[in-house]
Amino acid sequence: MMKKIILFLTILALLVPSTVHAQDQNPWNQVFDQNGNLRSDLTDLGVTTEHPSWMSVPLPFGQSLNLDANYHRYQTSDGNVVVLPSASTLFFMAMNPQASGLSQSKGMISNGQGGEIAFLGMVAGNSVDWNRVFADHPDMKTPDQFWGSVLSGQQNVWTYFSGWGFITTLMQMSWNDTALRTAYLMYMNGAKNCAALPGGCSGVVTPPAPPPPPQTKTCPDPKVATSPLSASILKTAPNNPLVVGQDTQSRRGADVLAKATIPPVIFTWYEAIYEDHKVCGIDNLTGLSSCHTEKVFKECREHVEHLPDAVVSMQATAALDSASQSWITSRLGQTHYGAYIHQASFTLIPGIGSWSGSCDGGGTCTGTGPALKVPFADPGTFNLHMSGVTSGTHFMGISITPPRQFSADGSLQVYVTLPSLVP
Amino acid sequence: MKEIPISKRNLLVGLILAVVLALGILAIQLFIHPDGQDSKTSPDDNLASNSAVTALEAFFHVDYQEGQDAWLNRICAASTSSGCQFISAGASQMWKKYGDEKTIVTAKVTPEMKLAETATEQVWKLSVSLSAALPGSNKTQDAAYVAVSKTDKGWKFDRFLLEPEVKVILARQAGTATPVGGQK
Repeated sequence: MMKKIILFLTILALLVPSTVHAQDQNPWNQVFDQNGNLRSDLTDLGVTTEHPSWMSVPLPFGQSLNLDANYHRYQTSDGNVVVLPSASTLFFMAMNPQASGLSQSKGMISNGQGGEIAFLGMVAGNSVDWNRVFADHPDMKTPDQFWGSVLSGQQNVWTYFSGWGFITTLMQMSWNDTALRTAYLMYMNGAKNCAALPGGCSGVVTPPAPPPPPQTKTCPDPKVATSPLSASILKTAPNNPLVVGQDTQSRRGADVLAKATIPPVIFTWYEAIYEDHKVCGIDNLTGLSSCHTEKVFKECREHVEHLPDAVVSMQATAALDSASQSWITSRLGQTHYGAYIHQASFTLIPGIGSWSGSCDGGGTCTGTGPALKVPFADPGTFNLHMSGVTSGTHFMGISITPPRQFSADGSLQVYVTLPSLVP
Repeated sequence: MKEIPISKRNLLVGLILAVVLALGILAIQLFIHPDGQDSKTSPDDNLASNSAVTALEAFFHVDYQEGQDAWLNRICAASTSSGCQFISAGASQMWKKYGDEKTIVTAKVTPEMKLAETATEQVWKLSVSLSAALPGSNKTQDAAYVAVSKTDKGWKFDRFLLEPEVKVILARQAGTATPVGGQK
């Protein structure tokens, strides 16, 4: 029987890695590598021995024989603990799933109770009176169903044992081969709750405390500063423009320039700077020293951003003022019959000219709209008006200032040469 | 051919004697075994129960002066190899207590009944009487439930039954137990 058990346990051990890796995104991936070997980054917690009550054999006269529960344990990088009980320990755990903590494990080799059922069947199956089991439970068709109900606490396996020697054989097998461990029991976050682990807290590495939440109000609020923008519209040439037709060049007209200058928006913000400090202490639970890294506030680092506020639209117009229009139709008409207003208004930008904009490295943006050779045909004063809108400013995708409007007014005098008779 | 004449009187006397003899045998059997069960025990039963007695007397023969090894050697001589290891596994804790209390105890063990058996195993209930109470107890009389196994060296003690095993066996005791008469 012992040979049969050893053969089964060996086969079970060989199956472990492939079974584990059949499932994706499970904690067993932190236990076995792609080749099915134990990962090198596991922390080997060593072998732990204890004397649990569920492995105590009561004897006459109040005496007791306290058997060793023996586990080899590993800890994963994120605090899970994998427990490999000895064969005899696993048997007693299976017989006492609640008290032993077996029922708290995530599973055996990530395969639920399947492995445990197979283990029990091989170790103790020959010592069970199956005829009586199936006679008492007609609903059970296979031994696995019986072992499943035993593991879930619904059946008392001791009721159906017809042999007794298998237990000492199992114990002897465990003692003679302490490396005979085939069951991998996973305890999620076992390091945090090591007192409830089979084997307790011995050797368990206490996971570092999570870093403190960032102190959001340590630094001043960000600041925004804007400077006044400037805009202008004015005549640039010639010095004294004549109505078209009278200027010396053919339809020279006048040149008008609209211009806007947008200084940068100054955005000042503060970054909290933390330093990593190593903190060591004694774990209250395990009594072992452990260290972890804490982030400690150091300073507020000031950042000043010169954010460009670019021109996104610009318009400019020229309009003959009402006094000039009145002078043309009244006074000038008296001396020059048929005088009339040729064109009282012009759309300079966009129209006769177009605008262009740019920003320099310092964040200052300009918009320039030249309207050249505007054919003013009426004498008088033209009111010039320009307006525009900026883009607003953004920093790292966040809006800092909204778009701004700008405008400016100017004037332009257009002259006319009037002939007069000299006696 | 020679004829032997039997008178009616002699024939009647003979019949009466035969009936009386049969009734006498029946009465004797009923007197000795009032429950009507078969008193015969197989040689295996005797050997099995003797092995249990020997092992238990060794187990409960405690003399702190002779040391743990001598105590264990006596137990293991009457036990299967796995049974020896089973006891040895928890021996240190027990012996420490015996040493601390300077325990000197001897035991008298009597088989009470065979509770269960397979071809190679038997479970026995035995009565144990101690010369003095063991540490942690004030009893000198108690029952022991043990499993013995048939090995190539004969019947040997294997182990004390676990508590759930005892409960199950006691629940079945009425239907299957075989009392032992005058074996020791």
